[in-house]
Amino acid sequence: MRAYQIILTFTALLLVTGVPLASAQKDSNVTVVLVGGPEVGKRAPDFSLPWASREGVGPIESPYQLASDRGRTVVIAFYPRDFTKGCTAQLQTFGEQYDSLFGPDVTLVGISTDSVSTHSRFAASLGLPFRLLSDPDQRISKQYSSKDAGGYNRRTVYVVGPDGRVKYRNMKFNALDPRAYSELRTAVKSVSGT
Amino acid sequence: MTRCLGVTLMFAGTIAGAAPLLGQESSMAVGSKAPVVAVRDLDGRSVDLGQYIGKKPVFLEFWATWCELCEELLPRIRAARTAYGKEVEFFGINVTVNQTPARVRRYLEQHKPGFRTLYDDEGTSTRAYQVPATSYVVIVDRKGNIAYTGSGGTQEFDPVLRRITSK
Repeated sequence: MRAYQIILTFTALLLVTGVPLASAQKDSNVTVVLVGGPEVGKRAPDFSLPWASREGVGPIESPYQLASDRGRTVVIAFYPRDFTKGCTAQLQTFGEQYDSLFGPDVTLVGISTDSVSTHSRFAASLGLPFRLLSDPDQRISKQYSSKDAGGYNRRTVYVVGPDGRVKYRNMKFNALDPRAYSELRTAVKSVSGT
Repeated sequence: MTRCLGVTLMFAGTIAGAAPLLGQESSMAVGSKAPVVAVRDLDGRSVDLGQYIGKKPVFLEFWATWCELCEELLPRIRAARTAYGKEVEFFGINVTVNQTPARVRRYLEQHKPGFRTLYDDEGTSTRAYQVPATSYVVIVDRKGNIAYTGSGGTQEFDPVLRRITSK
């Protein structure tokens, strides 16, 4: 048997062995989500990222550090992009319903790949009462398993307790589902005790 | 051996064509059965979409007052309803995120979209239809199969509506 025939046969066999998986996926509408990231009960990886708010860009020498909020409940919301025309109102809802969803004793941060200057304009346009963090190389979103295949973040939400451990997470936050917000509200209140 | 290899490669090629399905995001595929769910209207009354799906063509738009693309799409929806409203049931399902009924009513009075408004405050249809974003439109044929899905402010509905109706 010639070398190229061996290579072709081997390649064909590799493809053939993928048949059951392909068949299973062909008839299903199940999203294949690689669920990594810190699980509930595990320590949330610390990180430090530049930030912006509706007031402007934060000082470069004072990035946001998750560890600085130890002792408080922190909600980390990964999202795709600022100023999307896809019409999902996740951040706007977080902003307008901040008191009922989170309350004054909870820190909320949003994380995307956008620059701090874009964050500043976006936060100002919506009047967001929380900071937006810039993770352009997705170093942090990768740690939290919140990268998508297209170079943006998936919509995920983590609730980190005062002890620094993950108390709740939603790895596919549906920004259009009222139940996603009510579940998040319940999770935050159970952690923060409000 | 060569013939055997050829057959194997042809078979493998067929399977490889299916490989892109691996890891695909969930979505309502054209040709699949439209979910039949009950959703409340603005008065709190339950509306069973099963009264329409599988019995006549149905047009669904998932929208919100804050959705700029939805507003951009309104003229096309009004035109579609004018042309096909006698044969197709038009529903606008408000996703209710950051939406009060009062806010929705004010918007309807101002913009008059023409569709029958549902207010899905439990997210039942949003989850059932795996709605990716507002301005998402699903058109269902009279057999209850999804004939079209799309998002954005410049969608064209006439070709599919013409196909699934008597026109």
